[in-house]
Amino acid sequence: MVWWQILLLTIYAGLEILDELQIYSSLNTPVGAGLIAGIIMGDLQTGLIIGASMQLMVLGVGTFGGASKIDATTGTVLATAFSTSVRGMSPQTAISSIAVPVAAIMVELDVLARFANTYFAHRIDHLIDQDKINYSAVERNVLYGAIPWSLSRAVPVFIALAFGRGLVQTIANALNGDLMWLGTGLTVAGATLPAVGFAILLRYLPVKKHIAYLILGFTITTLFSVIFSNIQALGAGVAAANKSFTATFNGLPMLAIAMIGLALAILHYKSIPINKAAAKNVVASSDNASSKIDDNKGEITDDEL
Amino acid sequence: MTNSKPKYQLTDKDFKQINRRSLFGFQLGWNYERMQNSGYLYTILPQLRKIYGDDSPELKEMMKTHMQFFNTSNFFNTIVTGIDLAVEENEGIEGKDTVTSLKVGLMGPFAAIGDSIFASLVPTIFGALAASMAAQGNPIGVVIWVIASLLICVFRWKQLHFAYDKGVSLVTDMRDSLNALTDSATVLGVFMVGALVATMVNIKFAWVPQIGKVTMNVQNNLDMIIPKLLPAAVVAFVYWLLGKKGMTSTKAILIVLVLCVILGGIGVIAKI
Repeated sequence: MVWWQILLLTIYAGLEILDELQIYSSLNTPVGAGLIAGIIMGDLQTGLIIGASMQLMVLGVGTFGGASKIDATTGTVLATAFSTSVRGMSPQTAISSIAVPVAAIMVELDVLARFANTYFAHRIDHLIDQDKINYSAVERNVLYGAIPWSLSRAVPVFIALAFGRGLVQTIANALNGDLMWLGTGLTVAGATLPAVGFAILLRYLPVKKHIAYLILGFTITTLFSVIFSNIQALGAGVAAANKSFTATFNGLPMLAIAMIGLALAILHYKSIPINKAAAKNVVASSDNASSKIDDNKGEITDDEL
Repeated sequence: MTNSKPKYQLTDKDFKQINRRSLFGFQLGWNYERMQNSGYLYTILPQLRKIYGDDSPELKEMMKTHMQFFNTSNFFNTIVTGIDLAVEENEGIEGKDTVTSLKVGLMGPFAAIGDSIFASLVPTIFGALAASMAAQGNPIGVVIWVIASLLICVFRWKQLHFAYDKGVSLVTDMRDSLNALTDSATVLGVFMVGALVATMVNIKFAWVPQIGKVTMNVQNNLDMIIPKLLPAAVVAFVYWLLGKKGMTSTKAILIVLVLCVILGGIGVIAKI
């Protein structure tokens, strides 16, 4: 890892949290972080694999009601940086030995940033209490909130990247040497973690109501995935045995599965006739209501004249 | 009476300014005490100054009002803003109580709708797509998600003027059609989770016990029942675990991490 890579990753870490608060371009998500960190480190493949796993792990973890959530984005940045620059640190091992612990610890720094901003809110209260309000100072103190947010991600990333490499190399050596069993276990854990994400997500979705769709999604996909992977294996076998066999087979395209899900969702939407009729009634009645409001507006302007 | 009412009418320039501030500044001041309070004030401060006039006691009063607790979805906040400004523009300081109860009454429902759509469903559908492509080394899924996010920004930009025009009636208006849409979107969400369980959890039983002279290949026997039974069982286990009292998602992640290290370390399960 060279200095400009550390610098770029630090800048990204400082900006991604602002992006999440602002336009949410989705480059702030773990899979987006994997893409960007992968490009910076010159190993797109590793970045995307780590980002994908971390993305799936936190699928259901939204920021509900402003609660701090596990910071999988920062975890992905550090895991990608170390997996590509430390010998013997596979993406799967980096996920469970770096990305997950980092993501869990980062929750505390998120809390710290949100506490720090209370200070600026109090300064705004104070400014409003003045006889002559300094409006631009009020606005500045809102925008200053970006500083604690940004630093809460950028500082730990910089420290870890600048000083952590020796430690990570020691860990990687141990996992490939005396602690081989632990390394294997961590690899399995890295592969299993998406399952946690799915379970968390199911807690937020109306599973009992839509259980049929869960079963359909699982069964259709599991059957297709077995067929596709077996055909791929068969194709590879035949190609190895016979050079005149040149056809290649791809894996199961997830977009196609998503299209089946979309079709089911459309069918479901069309099968809610009562609700839709009710909605139409509400729209009709509210049209009346809004025209009444328009009338009111008209009255006010008349009075003013 | 009518003289005390403000005469300022919001222009297109005002709406643009509010939207810019909402997209880039609304959540920067987020704090534990009153959450999005300063952000809310920030998005409409220039318009408040135009409505009430600089250094007027009304402006000071309303600034204090808007510095009270506020927290809603940052994807729907300008709907509240739009309705609020429609009232303030017409009634001025006399609308203060209406505005306060509007804000308190609307922030909860819109937080719930916003969280379930934009913090849960959209990341599920696009995140799942992006991740399953990324797992094969393909960045196109991320690009698709970025495009979708930009389209959502357009939606966030449009809703302010829409809410301002419709005023209070908007709330009853949207509820039922939004419910039907959200319900259908959850169908897609639930379906995709099923699909993801079947493809993205790449573990299998590596355990081959010897019973007398017969070796039993556990994974092969399970495959005959239904493929990917182990991933489904793990998801069911974590789902059950999350229902326990005092269980958080972070705790669940750490528990699974430890269990997998042990089971993987002694060779019961393995990565495919």
